[in-house]
Amino acid sequence: MLLQLNHIYKWVKQGGKRVFLLNDISLQVEEGEFISIMGPSGSGKSTLLNVIGMLDEFQEGEYNFLDESVHTLKEKHRSKLYKEYIGFVFQAYHLIDELTVYENIETPLLYKNVKSSERKALVADMLDRFNIVGKKDLFPSQLSGGQQQLVGIARALIAKPKLILADEPTGNLNSKQGEEIMQLFKELNQEGVTIIQATHSEANAEYGNRIIHLLDGSKTKA
Amino acid sequence: MLKNYIKIALRNLWKDKTFSILNLVGLSTAFAVAVLLGMYAFFELSYDGFHQNNASLYQVYSTEQTPEGIVSSVPKSVPFTPALQEEVPGIAQSTRVNGKGVLVIAGDKELRMSAAYVDPDFFSMFSFPVLRGVETQPTKDLSTVTLTEHAAERIFGKESALGKTLRVITEGEEKLFTVNAITADFPDQSSIKFDLALDFSNQASFSYASIKDDWSKENHEVFVQLEQGVTPQQFEQATAPFTQLHYKEDLEAAKRDGAQPDQNGNYKQIRLLPFQDRAYANFDYGIAHVDKAMPYLVLGVGFLILFIACVNFINMSIAKSTQRLREIGMRKTLGAGKAQLFFQFWGESIFIFLGAAILGGALAAAFSDSFKTLFSTRATFEAVFSIKVLLGFILVFMVITLIAGGYPALLLSKLGTLQSLKGKLNLTRKNRVRDVLMVIQFGIAILLISGTFVLWQQIDFMRNKNLGYNKEQVISIPLNGKRSDAQVMQLLRNKLQAYPEILDITASNNSLGLGRDGSSRTSQMGFEYKGRMVTTHILMVDYDYPETLDMELVAGRSFKRDYASDSLAVLINEQMAAQLQEKNPLETRFIMDDSVAYNVVGVLKDYNFQKLNTSVAPLTLFLKPDWNMHYAYIKVAPNKAATALPLLEKVWGEIEPKADFLGSFLDENVDRTFKAEKRMATMITSGSILAIILSCIGLFAISLLIVAQRKKEIGVRKVVGASVLRITLMLSTDFLKLVAVGFAIAVPLAWWFAHNWLQGYASHITLNIWIFIAAGAAALLIALLTISFRTIRAASQNPVRSLRTE
Repeated sequence: MLLQLNHIYKWVKQGGKRVFLLNDISLQVEEGEFISIMGPSGSGKSTLLNVIGMLDEFQEGEYNFLDESVHTLKEKHRSKLYKEYIGFVFQAYHLIDELTVYENIETPLLYKNVKSSERKALVADMLDRFNIVGKKDLFPSQLSGGQQQLVGIARALIAKPKLILADEPTGNLNSKQGEEIMQLFKELNQEGVTIIQATHSEANAEYGNRIIHLLDGSKTKA
Repeated sequence: MLKNYIKIALRNLWKDKTFSILNLVGLSTAFAVAVLLGMYAFFELSYDGFHQNNASLYQVYSTEQTPEGIVSSVPKSVPFTPALQEEVPGIAQSTRVNGKGVLVIAGDKELRMSAAYVDPDFFSMFSFPVLRGVETQPTKDLSTVTLTEHAAERIFGKESALGKTLRVITEGEEKLFTVNAITADFPDQSSIKFDLALDFSNQASFSYASIKDDWSKENHEVFVQLEQGVTPQQFEQATAPFTQLHYKEDLEAAKRDGAQPDQNGNYKQIRLLPFQDRAYANFDYGIAHVDKAMPYLVLGVGFLILFIACVNFINMSIAKSTQRLREIGMRKTLGAGKAQLFFQFWGESIFIFLGAAILGGALAAAFSDSFKTLFSTRATFEAVFSIKVLLGFILVFMVITLIAGGYPALLLSKLGTLQSLKGKLNLTRKNRVRDVLMVIQFGIAILLISGTFVLWQQIDFMRNKNLGYNKEQVISIPLNGKRSDAQVMQLLRNKLQAYPEILDITASNNSLGLGRDGSSRTSQMGFEYKGRMVTTHILMVDYDYPETLDMELVAGRSFKRDYASDSLAVLINEQMAAQLQEKNPLETRFIMDDSVAYNVVGVLKDYNFQKLNTSVAPLTLFLKPDWNMHYAYIKVAPNKAATALPLLEKVWGEIEPKADFLGSFLDENVDRTFKAEKRMATMITSGSILAIILSCIGLFAISLLIVAQRKKEIGVRKVVGASVLRITLMLSTDFLKLVAVGFAIAVPLAWWFAHNWLQGYASHITLNIWIFIAAGAAALLIALLTISFRTIRAASQNPVRSLRTE
């Protein structure tokens, strides 16, 4: 078992009342799964992904990741944990504009203190695999959306994470680019990477082997 | 990792060229100015620091209790020092020093030089190392002279001076000396300056031989080196019996006149001033008061400017950070820790600061010559350079970089991951820091501007003040030639008779203002009048003195050539008349110099015969045409001012072909006396201009960012019908409020400083609130202009454009 959420609650106060962003969410994810989270805007998809990615806090409940209880960990340990095991892919790519493709992909390795020679080999492999060797010296603004997302995924994969969290990874792409990205996710999943994606699109959701429906922060039966 | 940081830093700087350039320009200018001002201040603070014995070197002075209060006197009498060394324990070495302008004649060369008449200990007390010749007590042999390297070269050129002879004329007496030592040239920060050193007893008999045992003629300074372990306090206390013995009459006179003894019950106290404080000591108010305010003020201005530039940097970095939020968020999700982010952003700051420091250093080096001219200082980098100063600079640099670069870095590294990823940031708290910093910035600018106004007004006031004599038409010429002064005066009178534009000629033994010879002196004496001690400044004058200078007589008459008895006549000023407390001062006779009785024949209206920051003191003018006069005064016709100087120079050349002509109009001489004020004014003016420019750079940058941040708001407001003017006003008021708060804080401070400074001047301008309002208005106007560049453009833009970007 990769991770387990038990009765997670997250709320904000608005005019003295609690507005629930996540309402009693329980979820168990096994290694090698490909999960799609579906729901309309504001249903809590991104919040759930952020909680799983340890970027966001929650008020109640328990979260275990690889036998570590995340809710009791300090920020520093948590950051170590997600640095090691989780890769993020965002709708808006979030590449660093001032760095080239090569440097963007390299960055996570820098924060993991990987040796220079090893870094070179890893990044070269990744560029090769995604067929973007020719683009390695370009800046993000010189790439198409699909290519940027490709770089984003390459960056997420470079540190060999167990889990990829993808928040509307195809939201800014046209349908053809989107399809390619989803195909890529499927291949990655077949190689053993666990993937959790949030999406609007039924078609994209179908790539997953399990679909979770959210509405107003609660799980619903589809 | 490091390479990655450097890369991203450079790319960021390149991307935001406007900001990088504004930052770099602001910071490097500030660094350059701070370095120059620092150099100046350290130079000024390093006077006399080069003497190795400084810890035990002291200048001797004394204070006396008088009915008017405590009065100090630096000059000492010839027998004083030998007696002091003999009778009071604790002195290791001592020397008398009398500096004199002398005429040096060697071969056909005739040079005006400054001589130091010193005791043999002089060269072992002070660090004026002998390079060649006799090394210990080089002046001990009465027939020898010690030259500085510079002087030796002036006199003998490239040839070796050792063993050569030269003649020295001092106060009319000529003597032959052999050069037996050459000393190294001393640093510019030496308060004792000389070209040649001679034994103390080689002075003219007037200054030495004839007063060898006279305790009342005080004409030179005294320095001592205390024995190890003796504190100046112990020494001062030990001088009591010495004072009792040698100044018995003075003590009795003080007691009789009703002076209050000091807390130890003494009427006269011999005191020591640490030698290193000598250049900063003021003896005007009794016990020596060491004042280093001026250099510290300059240092302060340097720091203020650096502060303003740093505030700009901080504000710009924080404001700009909104553009980098996504990067911060992303780096955090990729696993960057707080420390890593902090060092990344701090590193970027160090980058800019290092660049600015290098550029600033280069600027300072490039402008150091103009700086030296502008502020007429001899300060150089070499003069103040030492490992300590260098380390100090590095330390200051590090601290500034740590704070100015570290503060924004700290803020950025602490941001929440999700928040920054979304690009949303609640800036309210940080705006307060920015606002406070900007308030301080403008406060400083207003403070400096008001300081500038006050300084120039006071200088203008002093320059235009009626000093009680004619300074526009009168030329003063220092009598620095070989002939006797009376002879020169006679020749001048004869030769100038033929020229109608020369109206009057006279002479005196003291200058008015500061002449081109750069020397000024004070002579004061006290005598008993009707059982009281009376003190007065004394001046020896030639005939026609009041007439030449257009001085007003309030009673009596001036000196007249037809009255033989006028050789014992004196003129006094109103202050002196008041001190004599006579109903009719013209009837007064007083006895000076033992038995000679002088008649008061006239009372002059008070005129400023000293520096303008002092009030007019009692003065007595003696008619001594044959005395050692030092200055000739020549009044020229009103419209002939331009041609008079060349004419006089020509005539002077005929009389004294080998002596430089140093004549100048008195108004120039008066201007020269407030050189210090002018220098301070130039410095503060440049400081305030720079402060305003730097503040405006910061304001401009902030306005750029604010306008960018509020683009959408401006668009919405325009869509719902706000006019361009309304929006411009809305954008400007926020900034103007800050200037207003800065004004409110700065004015009381400026008032306080100006008030205190003006207290040092006997007559000064009255502070007017309008000075400060003008300073505030100037700052406000400049601020308004600066921001209007952007605000008006933003306000007049088509709202559709700004809304479309959402």
